[in-house]
Amino acid sequence: MKNGHTDVLLIEDNPGDADLVRLRLVESDSGVNISCVDRLADGLASMAKQSPSVVLLDLNLPDSHGADTFRRVLEKAPGVPVVILSGQDDEALAMKALHQGVQDYLVKGDITSGHLERVMRYAIERQALLRTLEMSRHQQLEFKNQFLSHVSHELRTPLTCIHQFVTILLDGLAGEINADQRYHLGTVLNSVHQLRAMIRDLLEATRAESGKIRIEARCITISDLIQQAVSMMAATAKEKQVGLEVGLDSRIPFVYADPDRVLQVLVNLIDNGIKFTPPDGSVLVRACIVEADPSMVYVSVADTGRGIGPEAKALIFERLYQDPNSIDNNRAGLGLGLFIAKELVELHGGKIWVASEVGNGSTFSFTLPLYSLAKLLSPVITYESRLREAVVLVKVELTPLPGVTRSGWKEICEQCLETLRRCVYVDKDLVLPVTGSVGLSETFFVAASTDLERAEIMMKRIREQLEAGAGFKAAGLLKVSATAVALPAAEDGPLEALVQNTADRITEMVMLASDESPIALSANGDESARTK
Amino acid sequence: MEKPKILIVDDDPDLRRALKIRLRANHYETVQASDGYSAISVAQKEKPNLIILDLGLPAGDGYVVLERLQDSDTLSSIPVIVLTARDPQSNEQKTLQAGAAAFFQKPADNNELLDVIRATLPKAWPGVTLPS
Repeated sequence: MKNGHTDVLLIEDNPGDADLVRLRLVESDSGVNISCVDRLADGLASMAKQSPSVVLLDLNLPDSHGADTFRRVLEKAPGVPVVILSGQDDEALAMKALHQGVQDYLVKGDITSGHLERVMRYAIERQALLRTLEMSRHQQLEFKNQFLSHVSHELRTPLTCIHQFVTILLDGLAGEINADQRYHLGTVLNSVHQLRAMIRDLLEATRAESGKIRIEARCITISDLIQQAVSMMAATAKEKQVGLEVGLDSRIPFVYADPDRVLQVLVNLIDNGIKFTPPDGSVLVRACIVEADPSMVYVSVADTGRGIGPEAKALIFERLYQDPNSIDNNRAGLGLGLFIAKELVELHGGKIWVASEVGNGSTFSFTLPLYSLAKLLSPVITYESRLREAVVLVKVELTPLPGVTRSGWKEICEQCLETLRRCVYVDKDLVLPVTGSVGLSETFFVAASTDLERAEIMMKRIREQLEAGAGFKAAGLLKVSATAVALPAAEDGPLEALVQNTADRITEMVMLASDESPIALSANGDESARTK
Repeated sequence: MEKPKILIVDDDPDLRRALKIRLRANHYETVQASDGYSAISVAQKEKPNLIILDLGLPAGDGYVVLERLQDSDTLSSIPVIVLTARDPQSNEQKTLQAGAAAFFQKPADNNELLDVIRATLPKAWPGVTLPS
């Protein structure tokens, strides 16, 4: 063919068929290099070594049959055009293969040299076209992200100016203002806040779409987060004369989730609830455990608003969806809030849904996974169905220096966690999930399946790695210490109970240590330092 | 009584004017620069106690300014608060590592900004009398 050689890989176990194809290729005299193998495994190995221009593939080989054959080839080399050599009797299968990414098929016994050459050439051209399409799709997405990020940056500059001068007027820095003026300026300030939220959502939705949202899961108390969200929204609810109530099941265990992200979802749902509920209605936030699904917590936000029709219900979590019946509320927003909420909940491994009837209010519910230390710890404290002898707890404390902002501190804590994760052996040691939200000082724990001596080496490594991070010195004080937890002998009872027991004791120690009381034990190798 | 002096570096004259009004009302003295180059020369001449720095600047962006400040014997001890429209996800940690004391995205809450200015000032200038 044109443009130099075409490398054809023929995977065909019938010598007669193989010879025929070879003959047709030679007849067409078109600069073809042909290599032939009779087993799929050899074909895959050959493709791994050097990618051919095109693969001619028989589906029934000694080591693979039917649809499996082309699936394995496509999986191994998704960018290589594949043409199937089909028998008269399995043309239906060849047709099916076309839908799954195979470029074309030829029926054996019906192959002429011109036909074969044309099929191969088109297969190669189509595959190249597909690649170009895929690349341009990727570029478009990238362009859209850059565009939105640029636009939101440019919008922030004039918005900042409006915000600054409105607050200057409101704070009386340019002279006294009367009550009417104050009221009007307050309206301007509210609009500034709405605009700021929209710009934030725009960026957030773009990030969600391109998979750039990070979740830092920790061990959190969902009722605290609900209370926090409710107190954040209390003023809005009061202003609209909508009741805002909380109903909590007191037995809810810890939840394993990113507190900032969960707060974002809660605030969004409560805000929507208030927005679509008339004065004197109410919004109720609840959390509970459902017996049928004991590994998740169920959180719901119910309002007494006008409810959602079935068509809207199906679309409400879609990007840019806005309820067409809500035109009376001309501040509906961008229609990104529920889309972002759905993305965030799903990133946690949860689900989000809505139950509603027109005229009867709506209830938005979502689930989040509960936290189970025993499950996480199991590989660390057991080995070949037995308990290990000891587990070492390394404690890393970080305290921010003054002047570090909350978000800056959060970033540093995340960086610290990442560094800790690099310091441990996968499947042998575990960086324990952090408890609570990012506070003033932060304590991290690493559980390691090792002895005190090894723990000292690990501590040294952690300290070195953390101190090497440029951000830490400027931003935080660092302390590292360790303690060992002796484990009960393996014969003491069923393994699961022992694992649970150990996990409970470690949880207790972590709670105690996080509670400001310093760990008395150190990693200086002192025997008395071990907890018996 | 000498007031703490704050250098405002931003290419938007309206925002510089707004910050000047806000900071003066809180008993700070202000000086201004509109680009990266003059930020350094004004800092050398005026010896401010704190710098509020935008990132997107002509003639040397905020990162260049941070680097020059850090490299200078006389200026490296001046705390810098970054105030930018740029995304915190990709800039906050980077600016802190480059030596900034704090990061704010525009539009920032006035009270939070003033709190951080108060918290940041005495570290480098213990002798300065602070407004209450």
